[in-house]
Amino acid sequence: MPKIVGIDLGTTNSLVAITEDGTPRVIPGSDGSMLVPSVIYFDEAGQLVVGNAAKEKMVERPKNTIFSIKRFMGKGIEDVREDLPLLPFEVSPESEHIIRLKIFGRDYTPPELSAIILRELKRNAEAALGEEIQNAVITVPAYFNDAQRQATKDAGRIAGLDVLRIVNEPTAASLAYGLDKRNQGTIAVYDFGGGTFDISILKLSEGIFEVLSTSGDTHLGGDDIDEALIRLILRELGDAGAAPSSSPSARLLAAVRNAVNKAKEDLSASDNADILVPSLQYKRTITRAEFNSLIEPIIERTLKPCRQALQDAGLKPNEIDEIVMVGGSTRIPLVRQRVQELFGRVPHTELNPDEVVALGAAVQADILAGGKRDMLLLDVTPLSLGIETMGGVMSKIIPRNSTIPASATEMFTTFIDGQTNVKIHVLQGERELVKDSRSLAQFDLKDIPPMSAGMPRIEVKFLIDADGILSVSAQEQRTGKYQSIEVKPTYGLTDEQVEQMILESFEYAEADIEARLVIEARNEAETVLNATVKGVADEQYANLTDEEKAEITAASKNLREAMKTSNHPAIREAIERLSSSTMRLAELIMNAAISKALKDKRVREIEND
Amino acid sequence: MDYFEVFGLPRVLGLDLRGLEKTFHELSRRYHPDYFSTAPASEKTQAVRMTALLNDAYRTLRHPIRRVEYLLSLYGLKSDGSKVPQSLLMEVFEINEQLDEVKAGRASIEEIDSLRAQIKQKRERFDAELQQESLAWDDMVKGGAAEGKQKDQLAKLAEILSESSYIRNLENELENPGSRNH
Repeated sequence: MPKIVGIDLGTTNSLVAITEDGTPRVIPGSDGSMLVPSVIYFDEAGQLVVGNAAKEKMVERPKNTIFSIKRFMGKGIEDVREDLPLLPFEVSPESEHIIRLKIFGRDYTPPELSAIILRELKRNAEAALGEEIQNAVITVPAYFNDAQRQATKDAGRIAGLDVLRIVNEPTAASLAYGLDKRNQGTIAVYDFGGGTFDISILKLSEGIFEVLSTSGDTHLGGDDIDEALIRLILRELGDAGAAPSSSPSARLLAAVRNAVNKAKEDLSASDNADILVPSLQYKRTITRAEFNSLIEPIIERTLKPCRQALQDAGLKPNEIDEIVMVGGSTRIPLVRQRVQELFGRVPHTELNPDEVVALGAAVQADILAGGKRDMLLLDVTPLSLGIETMGGVMSKIIPRNSTIPASATEMFTTFIDGQTNVKIHVLQGERELVKDSRSLAQFDLKDIPPMSAGMPRIEVKFLIDADGILSVSAQEQRTGKYQSIEVKPTYGLTDEQVEQMILESFEYAEADIEARLVIEARNEAETVLNATVKGVADEQYANLTDEEKAEITAASKNLREAMKTSNHPAIREAIERLSSSTMRLAELIMNAAISKALKDKRVREIEND
Repeated sequence: MDYFEVFGLPRVLGLDLRGLEKTFHELSRRYHPDYFSTAPASEKTQAVRMTALLNDAYRTLRHPIRRVEYLLSLYGLKSDGSKVPQSLLMEVFEINEQLDEVKAGRASIEEIDSLRAQIKQKRERFDAELQQESLAWDDMVKGGAAEGKQKDQLAKLAEILSESSYIRNLENELENPGSRNH
């Protein structure tokens, strides 16, 4: 069984952990540090440095030292416009739907940059464990939308990792706390990190961790506290005529950022701290009271999602049995105080808030590897999924806080005689109007058999998988034909782009990657063919029409032919064809299996009576 | 396979929520994709779909209103919360007028409270009626009543549900002014 690592890909720091003999532990980097700062330094020669060594370059070489990439994942330029003046990066003009940072004349997307950090973690794990690591569980903020999750998965692929699961950070943390020793109860996880805030409410029942609700803000974290302090310092510097406050230089900003960050950390332990910017001969003392009044509005912004999550879970603050604190920003005394006031209970802070998510990811990795069967995590989708309907209204089809995997089926038809295309616009969010929602993707239902308007009945199935990522399939009801769907993610990379990035990544030569793609495609083809043989042998096969049976035979033959070539796109296409031809058979078998399972269960219950 | 079948239940509306949760947990332990991550792709896909069906079924059946809506949909019936209930025509007219006052910011806190209480009372009346007719439906299913009788009962349920959704929409509107979806 190949090892599966758990990775916390954080805004500020990233970690990799592994579970061995039932106990999760963080794997340190070559410099011995558990935390790998999520910082990348690029030098003129094209060399990369990641982690602590890169962080040291932040003040000296701000333009080519990249940090807080997570804030850009799955985002377009409009989403981060406000932050840019305080960030030293050069943004490429082609950033409308995917931010691209320009570094020494080359554009990098956030998944490519995140992949550099993931590759460092992968190397650290390989060095410590003495074997190649290919499989990983990666955590994301619970409130991440589809595009942000997909971007994280893309980053994994670019780094050469098979991402077996995307897990929500607060849920992962609850696994690490070993709260399963408590048989029943409710848990609130307050996760305030470097760039994001999450709150999740869980119900625990005999090893099943069931998330009842989640809420948050993917743009609220320690970075906002730093920025409040930076603004304060810049204002004071401007007043003193020492530096311009409107358009500070990258170097000045980096020096101030470094100074306030240190002061912020000092203030968690003492009542006052010095902010020192040596290059400007600037020094001032800040008291904790001053700091508290500066950050009070930021903390207040975390309490609103907490109240929302409680309401969605149908619970009152005093009905929560355990509160778990996660993320570096929960070290701030005022944060702890406010959370304690809200729930009327002292929160758990026993585990290192920087490490707990990675440890939880390793626990989840162990569950996936088959090591732990008594624990099961049932997570939810944080945002409602909807489609655009007449008049620019968003019609919700899967409500927020639905347990995932979740699905919904909608019927579509045509408006014009002979129409062969239908456009579908998928959205995420809680607002009524399309213009206020997050566009997720546009789909084209193609090759609809030409009929009179309103005659075709196209059933579209929307499926949110256990990673919280959407997929879509469609079937014309009259002909039973599965429709081809072309997905155009609004804020994301296409499969082709990701493959191109894998090609361009530093680790693989082009020939290697081609060979790998062929092997992967053939392996999958093998699996699908085996499954088809099994399916055809099943008694449910008899319930298919002659046409359906003929298509399965033809599609199998077609795939066997394709496998003989090294043309991986053709193999993929043939796999697609066979998969859709066996879809109804798979459904029949699955339904029969559920019925049987239920019957067994009832028989057992009767026996137990 | 319909949602009732997923849980091995007849199409009844009176459900034991603890039993439902227990079955949900048991079936989750059996089919959750977490237990199939190293299985072949086809089995993985099947586990995802099975669990999605299970989750959809649980989400729908554990919720008293969604449960009735779903049952009706199985028979091609729909409740419509945008139509003014016939039995409430006069009262609703008055309630809507008061609601406009609230939205225009002309109502006092006492007036809002009294309106809230009035709407709540109406909703509770419909909820009680819905509950009663749901039980009547269950008796028919268990007693194997004639198809025609069952049809009539479903139509009755659809009407009550439409009425109670209308009231629920008013309630929502009072709590979140301007949220109504037209």
